[in-house]
Amino acid sequence: MSLATPLALSFGAPLGLLALLAIPLALLALYAARRRRTAYAIRFPAATSLAVAAGSVSSWRRHVPAALALLALAALALALAKPQRTVAVPVAGASVVLVTDHSGSMSATDVEPDRLSAAEAAAETFLGKLPKPTRVGVVAYSDGPDGTLAPTTDRERVRQTIEAQSANGATATGDALQVALDTLAPDGRKAARPASAIVLLSDGKTTAGRDPVEVARIAKRLGVPIYTVALGTADATIPNPISPLSPPIAVPPDPETLKEIADVSGGRAFTSDDANQLRGIYSSLGSRLATRHEQREITAGFAGAGLVLLLAAGLFSLPRVGRLP
Amino acid sequence: MADGGRHTPLAPPAARQGPGPMPHALLDALAIAVTQRVAGALPGDRRAAGVGQGTELAQIRPYTFGDDVRRIDAAATARTGEPHVRLEVPERTLTTWLVLDVSASMAFGTAERLKADVAEGVALALGRLSLRHAGRLGILTFGAGEPRLLPPRGSKAGLVALRRALADGVAADGVHDPHALADALGRVGRVARQPGLVVVVSDFREQHDWARAMGSLRARHAVLAVEVHDPREAEIPPVGRIAVVDPETGYRMEVDTSRPQIRARFAALEAERRETLTSELRRLRVDHAPLSTGEDWLLHLGRRLR
Repeated sequence: MSLATPLALSFGAPLGLLALLAIPLALLALYAARRRRTAYAIRFPAATSLAVAAGSVSSWRRHVPAALALLALAALALALAKPQRTVAVPVAGASVVLVTDHSGSMSATDVEPDRLSAAEAAAETFLGKLPKPTRVGVVAYSDGPDGTLAPTTDRERVRQTIEAQSANGATATGDALQVALDTLAPDGRKAARPASAIVLLSDGKTTAGRDPVEVARIAKRLGVPIYTVALGTADATIPNPISPLSPPIAVPPDPETLKEIADVSGGRAFTSDDANQLRGIYSSLGSRLATRHEQREITAGFAGAGLVLLLAAGLFSLPRVGRLP
Repeated sequence: MADGGRHTPLAPPAARQGPGPMPHALLDALAIAVTQRVAGALPGDRRAAGVGQGTELAQIRPYTFGDDVRRIDAAATARTGEPHVRLEVPERTLTTWLVLDVSASMAFGTAERLKADVAEGVALALGRLSLRHAGRLGILTFGAGEPRLLPPRGSKAGLVALRRALADGVAADGVHDPHALADALGRVGRVARQPGLVVVVSDFREQHDWARAMGSLRARHAVLAVEVHDPREAEIPPVGRIAVVDPETGYRMEVDTSRPQIRARFAALEAERRETLTSELRRLRVDHAPLSTGEDWLLHLGRRLR
């Protein structure tokens, strides 16, 4: 599972591209034929009247059949090189666990409308982008993992679990990651299922439970990459829960730790400080996780296009010129 | 116009057929027709250099030994008391000017012979007629760059000049001067002082602004316009796609002659062009003899002039 986008078009037999050299040759031949046709012209004193009678064919129309034929030639030459398109194929049996922080700091409003709502909306986008057969689990946590859903293909339950969160409590990232790992690899061995991943969204320092980096090492061993998203701005605050008169509590995100988690486990770290960006990150994660890139040969398409273009060139050219361009 | 160089090579066209037979009977009939055409000039209109028989007084001088006594002018002799003779301006013989088109478009013909062949025949026939009765023939060829003028000559000299001019042939392809005919007619108008006959042999194709020069020629001379054309110029047969080139302008084009509307439009354009030419010549009161390369041109010329 890689996040890098491979080239959309590649060639199975790049040597076949040499056939494209036929195009300049065809152009030359076309030009020579045109020259030859008028080189042995009939002397005709009334040629001026004849030119008026024949009318002038607009220059672009005169070149359409030749252009179509050359395009057909190009398509056929490309077909010879076995063009392949890279397509994203959902990985059968892939599962992703969304680990979402809903600690008290998620109520900060530095992200529109607030961090938790933005995270929920982004998760919705993520679900929309994931391929249908991918199982999704949820681990919502604050003081400890509280809303847990084992990976399932039932998107409705996933949504309910995500929406059920409310922002309060501490941040026990390590414990939550462990729970997520347990749901993906219950017996503590290397994940039997292919293509498992954890998407961790957090907005602050781990304030409770075990060290998340420790868990990330386990995840690495189990072959589960953790993609982390640090949400929030550095100067965000929330009102003091003890008394409204007390100074507000600063709730900056902790991108360093999250980056470490991602690096250790083999995932990638993202930071976001507004809802749109967050949705963008989730959207790209959703379309790339649990998919595999496959090379599909599209030679037939190119050959078909070449045929159609050739036919079009003939249809354009035969009735008025009486020959292929 | 710019390519009107002085030394445009002339050559007999490759497909030259010659003018064909010219029966004497037909030529004699043509002579009558031509004479009638130019008979508009009054006796004494045409004057020769020097003195001789005529109606117009040239000079009266004292009688010298050897003068014809019948020439003695009684009144002058009586006034002066010395015998005087009266000498008259001789009546000049007819001078014919042949304005001959030798442009590249004349080297074309798809029927019996080339347009240049018909032009050659017309020039020979009318040239011979003009040289009869001590007539003189001047030749001006145009359409091959600078026009070439052969001054009027009589008798055998005129015939030799005519044959030489005709043997030179027509211009090579690539010379185009839309004002060649107008220039040639203007030049004849300046050179030909005495009224005579001007014969213009041309296809009148791609020539502009000649009507004015023709009109001023017509004011003094009898003018005969011989238009030579080819049936292929009137309509084009359906022979599929062909590439054609204009011999004079060098314009090349490819045309699909199997399309009826192109052929019809071409025929209409050409008919309109010839109709314009005919009405223009009629307006100028110039005799118009259209000759086709596919017919007996001598017969048609005679019929036309009768």
